[in-house]
Amino acid sequence: MTDLDQTPDSHTDGDPSPTRRPSRRWFGIALKVVIAVVVLGVVATTALRILRPHAYAGTVMQAPTEAPGLDELVGTDGEPVDLAQYRGDVVVLFFGYTSCPDVCPTTLTMVRQARDSLGGDAERVHVVMVSVDPARDTLERLRDYVGAFDPTFTGATGELAAVERAAAEYGIFFAKGGPVGDGYTVDHTASLMAIDTDGKLRVVWPAAVEPDRLAGDLRELL
Amino acid sequence: MIVLVVAAMAFAIVQPVKVLPRLRPAPGYALTDANGDRFTSEDARGAITLYTFMPIGCGDECDRAVTTMREVRERAATEIDLGGVELRLVTVVLGPDAPLPVLADAAAAADAGAPVVAPDWVWLTGSATQIDNVVELGFRRSADPADFSPSYAIVDGWGTIRGEYRYSTLLDDADKLLRHLDVLSGELRHPRGITSFAYDAAHAFQCYP
Repeated sequence: MTDLDQTPDSHTDGDPSPTRRPSRRWFGIALKVVIAVVVLGVVATTALRILRPHAYAGTVMQAPTEAPGLDELVGTDGEPVDLAQYRGDVVVLFFGYTSCPDVCPTTLTMVRQARDSLGGDAERVHVVMVSVDPARDTLERLRDYVGAFDPTFTGATGELAAVERAAAEYGIFFAKGGPVGDGYTVDHTASLMAIDTDGKLRVVWPAAVEPDRLAGDLRELL
Repeated sequence: MIVLVVAAMAFAIVQPVKVLPRLRPAPGYALTDANGDRFTSEDARGAITLYTFMPIGCGDECDRAVTTMREVRERAATEIDLGGVELRLVTVVLGPDAPLPVLADAAAAADAGAPVVAPDWVWLTGSATQIDNVVELGFRRSADPADFSPSYAIVDGWGTIRGEYRYSTLLDDADKLLRHLDVLSGELRHPRGITSFAYDAAHAFQCYP
């Protein structure tokens, strides 16, 4: 008998399946590799998520507080605006007016595009435009205006003092601007804001945010 | 990957980079400055704005607030690299409709001895409702002149409140404000690139001073 004959892997007449043992070993190794890769993948993903969370296009508030109420305002459904009804969903808030020549239609179009790109999640994103021109923006006019962009969009208006209070709390400036034709413009901050699923004011976007980036942020918020 | 996890833990513990938290949007407003011109929250965009809120002529407490603002302005010009971002000072006068000559006198007195390259220092007044909206609803402190004690707020160029200072501490007010302005300036100097990664992580780990 040679040394080779005495090796554990040497074939003998008593072993019915001479190739099964190496196969089991390789299977075990492969299984361990798969498990290790999965575990490391989960750990790495978690670490990267902590280190590099979703890069929001807007400014994220780190200690978000309850979004200021809008219950002094009336929605286009004729009822006081109740933000609590949107808990569990995301609200995109915008302050504008129906005679707005440029930034409002542009912004609302971008919001619609972003919302449309969310597919089935779109129904969990509610868009509310608060009028900064309550003298001219009746509920009917507001309803027609926001509805032209998307029938799911809601408008809100109220007494000037109530709109001023809401605007101040949301960081929105507005004031009557110069004359245009028979009317006038209203200067206003054109930021967009997101109220998250917990009812907290979470993100503020500049008016020029790109729809795909806005959609990415909304997906993250949902 | 393990290195990443260890690095993340080390970052969270050591906190090599500090940031000021993003608290909430600063209030929107349109008030009147000492020249009688409209000054709005949009005019403050793009600059770091240090706010204080005070009545005119309330004695030592008012003097303390003015001295602090002046000291911050002067020392910030030499001690802090704001990366080209302007530092603007805004004093919101408590009480309704301060007469413009009185407002102008207060502003001029506060400005005494300012360096030639001093950034703007705007004094603002408005109706009782306007002041209430800005101070009480927006900055969430009393707008009643009778309740006055020096308080400050730092707002970044995007209109986000980054620091609120309602009560005095053992640390001198000006030192504290300058320290926090320095922290904010660090973030502003690294808006993108690899170093911005560290600032994002600092926000995620709440590495606050």
